[in-house]
Parts: sequence; structure tokens; C-alpha cells
Amino acid sequence: MPIIVNLDVMMARRKISLNELSEKVDITLSNLSILKTGKAKAIRFSTLEAICRALDCQPGDILEYRDDKS
Amino acid sequence: MEIKISTRQTLRILNIIAWYLFIGMCIEAGSFIFNAFYTMAINPEAAGYFRMAELYAYDQGYFLVQVLLVSIPAVLKAILFFLIVKILMGKKLNMAQPFNREMGRFLRNASWISLGTGVFSLWAGTYRIWLQQKGISIPDAEKLNIEGASIWIFMGVILLIIAQLFKRGIEIQSENELTI
Repeated sequence: MPIIVNLDVMMARRKISLNELSEKVDITLSNLSILKTGKAKAIRFSTLEAICRALDCQPGDILEYRDDKS
Repeated sequence: MEIKISTRQTLRILNIIAWYLFIGMCIEAGSFIFNAFYTMAINPEAAGYFRMAELYAYDQGYFLVQVLLVSIPAVLKAILFFLIVKILMGKKLNMAQPFNREMGRFLRNASWISLGTGVFSLWAGTYRIWLQQKGISIPDAEKLNIEGASIWIFMGVILLIIAQLFKRGIEIQSENELTI
């Protein structure tokens, strides 16, 4: 899928662990792991909003479009 | 007083009925196959058990084809009930998330088996009529359990459509599970 989830990059920049983020955004560790590993098929606006608030970033910092062909 | 029957209770009752029918179908299919074998190999008089002694006396090949055409739907019905028993006994039937791959496979298999039962019942019925036209005495379709071919075909087609819809359901559930 050409949409890349850069959650791990943002977490490293903010020096926050998966456990901490899970508590802050109120999402289970397994769901956060699915998102982090790029297995997720969709993300709710509410989840995106919670992650952006917790990591103090923009949606574009977490999601990236990269063409498969290039 | 209102009597409430839960899904669990319904499934338990269905499980008992499915077991009962599965055993019945196994006995039916087994009796046809065993009788054919016994008639052909040991005692030709055993053909009279299914009132096909006249057919056996007329032509052994015709007898064998008729028994084969009657046995195939019986075996297919037994397999269908085995699949139902398997799905009801196993942990695959999850009412919280019913759209799983096992259920999809079950529906697809059940639809093909129903279609097969219908087609072979129809074939056996047509063959029976053809033999009757030759002047051979042969039991009714009801006694040979080959009646209702059109119903089996209808059920097979309906199940095939449901299986296709179920396939889409599996995709939607999978997407829903992976929406964070």
C-alpha cells in the first residue's frame, strides 16, 4: 500500500514508548502495534486526532504517501 | 410468560438434529453401497432388498448404474450433514464475528454439495423413468430417496449466492478489524 505509517519515527522523535502512547490515546497495545507495523487498513479521524495530540504533531508527520512504482 | 430461546440453545438443538440426520444419511448411503456389493459379489437375491431384483435379472449393468446414481446423492447428503456437524461442533462458529474464512468455505462447499445432490438425484430419476419405459419394475423415486432434485438445486443456487455475499462480508469484517 502506498500509504506509509511513520508512527515509529514520531515516537522515536518524541521519545515515547508504545505503552505510554497506548495509555495516552486509550488504544490497546495490539491495535497500536497493527498501526505501527503498517498492517492497518484504515484509521479513524478520532484515533488520528488522539495520536496527533499525544505526539504534538500533524497528521502528515504520521502518514506519508509513497508511490509504489517509484 | 414469554419463552426466550437463545442462539446457543438453537445451535444446540440444530447440532442434535444434524447428528441424527448425519447418522441416518450414513446408514442410507452405506446400505445402498453394501447392498450393491453384496448383490454383485455374494448373493444376487439381495437385489430384492431395494425391490430391484427384476432390474438385476434384466441387466446387471443397468442395476449397477441405478444403484450408483442412487448412492451418490446419499453419500453427498451424508457429507453435507458431516460438514454441518463439523461446523456446529467446532469453535469456528463465532456469533460475535461470524464472517470468517471457515464459514465461507463451509457455505461454498455446502452449495456445491447441494447442487451435486440435485443433479445426481435428477439424473437418477431420469434413469429410473427410462428403465420404467423399458418395462422394468423399479421402486418409486420416494423409496429410493431421489425425489426433490429441483429443491436441492434451488438450495444449491441460493447457498452459492449467499456464499458470494459472505465473501464480501469476510472482506468487510477484516477491514473493520484492521480499522484502528
